[in-house]
Amino acid sequence: MYFASFLLKNLVRRKARSLLTILGIAVAIGTVVTLRGVSYGFERSFRANFERRGIDLVVVAAGIPDQLRSNLDEDIGPRIERIEGVRRVSSGLLELVNIDRGDSVISVLVNGWRPGGAQLEDLTIVSGRAIRPEDSRAIMLGVTLAEHLNKGVGDTVTMQDERYDVVGVYRSFDLFENGGAVVPLATLQREMVRPGTVTGFTVELVPARDKEALADTVRRRIEALVDAKGKPCGITAQPTRAYVSGTVYIRMANGMAWITSGIALIVGGITILNTMITAVMERTKEIGLLQALGWVRARVLGMVLGEAVLLSVTGATVGIGAAMLVIRWLAGVPQTSGFVSGQVSPVVIAEGLGLTLLMSLIGGVGPACRAAGMQPTEALRHE
Amino acid sequence: MSDAASPSPLLSAEHLRKVYPDGKVVALEDVSLAIAPGEHVAIMGPSGCGKSTLLNLLGALDRPDSGEVFFEGVPLSRQRSLARLRSRKVGFVFQSFHLLPTLTALENVQVPMFGGPLSAWGRARKARELLETVGMLHRVKHTPSRLSVGERQRVALARALANDPVVLLADEPTGNLDSRSAAEVLDLFSSLHRDRGLTLVVVTHSPEVARRCGRVLWLSDGRLVKEERNPDADGHLQAWASSGMPSILS
Repeated sequence: MYFASFLLKNLVRRKARSLLTILGIAVAIGTVVTLRGVSYGFERSFRANFERRGIDLVVVAAGIPDQLRSNLDEDIGPRIERIEGVRRVSSGLLELVNIDRGDSVISVLVNGWRPGGAQLEDLTIVSGRAIRPEDSRAIMLGVTLAEHLNKGVGDTVTMQDERYDVVGVYRSFDLFENGGAVVPLATLQREMVRPGTVTGFTVELVPARDKEALADTVRRRIEALVDAKGKPCGITAQPTRAYVSGTVYIRMANGMAWITSGIALIVGGITILNTMITAVMERTKEIGLLQALGWVRARVLGMVLGEAVLLSVTGATVGIGAAMLVIRWLAGVPQTSGFVSGQVSPVVIAEGLGLTLLMSLIGGVGPACRAAGMQPTEALRHE
Repeated sequence: MSDAASPSPLLSAEHLRKVYPDGKVVALEDVSLAIAPGEHVAIMGPSGCGKSTLLNLLGALDRPDSGEVFFEGVPLSRQRSLARLRSRKVGFVFQSFHLLPTLTALENVQVPMFGGPLSAWGRARKARELLETVGMLHRVKHTPSRLSVGERQRVALARALANDPVVLLADEPTGNLDSRSAAEVLDLFSSLHRDRGLTLVVVTHSPEVARRCGRVLWLSDGRLVKEERNPDADGHLQAWASSGMPSILS
């Protein structure tokens, strides 16, 4: 008999309690992995959007944490492009817009891009074509959005009470873009009453041996730009990674995920603590027996901790499996498909398992020490 | 104490005193004794006289409030780990068997071997051999609830032998058994004593058990009041003092 088999038999002995504990841990770890999976996928996809396009700096309005509220004069773009070391500048207007789905209205991230612009080069046209300069009420749908709206080329969609002709369906490496839509920049500026303005600029730098130093130099020159009156333009330029991790939505998603996960972990830890304390109290005589048979304290400690870990890992396995199913399901639901990838990163699973071990230690150490510290004669007399 | 001509004791105790945790009842008072290797000793006396307490002290399960227990000449107070000593040198048999209910007979016997040098396969093989020794090979896969009380005690005996102890301490080993099962268990004790040279110390109320022991120590009110020996371990008990051997009673 292996020691692990011995631990397993101890747990199987009290089936109902063990199953309920496993369920509690599964809910706790499942919550952690679901929330972290969504927020991590959100951040990763957001970052990939910039990194895969080779973007070195992101320029938005300074002091505005919400990217959607960033409002910049689109004429700043050509001025940035003239700065030494800059290869290309792209501008875009990003808006959260309501699209009529027939039986409901869904909020969709819509990009206003210049027809023929660099961003469109990264999209794969699945059907139809890309927007053109002569298009006015044309829209391109991401594959996920097209699927949820059940629309294709030749159909029309109603956005902000205006009808648009679907001219193309595209696939992007970016999750959000697949769940969103693209219209000509001028159209979106007009519809949103933001003429001549954009949300921000993305900057690609020329190849350089020390890209960081170049990025720092360009960043300072962008931030030093002034308007016609000589006042600062009020813009901030950030390296891609810093911009993504500092984005208010990412920070909120991560913060909410960690706070909820923390609460779930405390609940899970208390569940294990309760189970193991009860188990140790019920088995006082048995622990005395094991000590009488020559078990050293470390082995008694190992038994109780081992049972806590076994319960936790089983619960975590169930919870992680359930979380993967939930995330896959969320990726298929119209309301969330635009920002949930359907995949759980191995990093998130590893985090979940790490937290599981932490939780089992939190819940198991106290009862284990209590068991190991028992006097065998007193434990054997226990009724 | 034994004189110089006697074999050096396996277990000895000097002036043991033990008070119950409430501090009011003295369980043992000034108890001294010596047990030679291979001896078969019974500890007798009325209920509550301190027999089990003495057994626990001799088996390194507990520490005295004063006095000293020596195991192979080494004071237990100097042992770094009593658990390790129990694991290597001492086997315990209890009145109520204390088998783990979810484990089979084969698994119960393996429990003391965890942490030892044997692999899982080696533990199972040894447990099987020990169950064969106690005549329980046909019940290896039975859990305690499917064993008779006599069978349970035989499994407990096999478990006590798991780590090849030099001394077996039994607390009322036949107290819960019917006469036939008790006789079978006592036969096993006798054969282990004879064949393996095991030192046996048995706490008992039973004259039948005591009759099989080479020496009987009598306790009363926590004090060692009398000792008797039985040279052929099957005849009538004789006073230790009348045998011409030195008395351990001071």
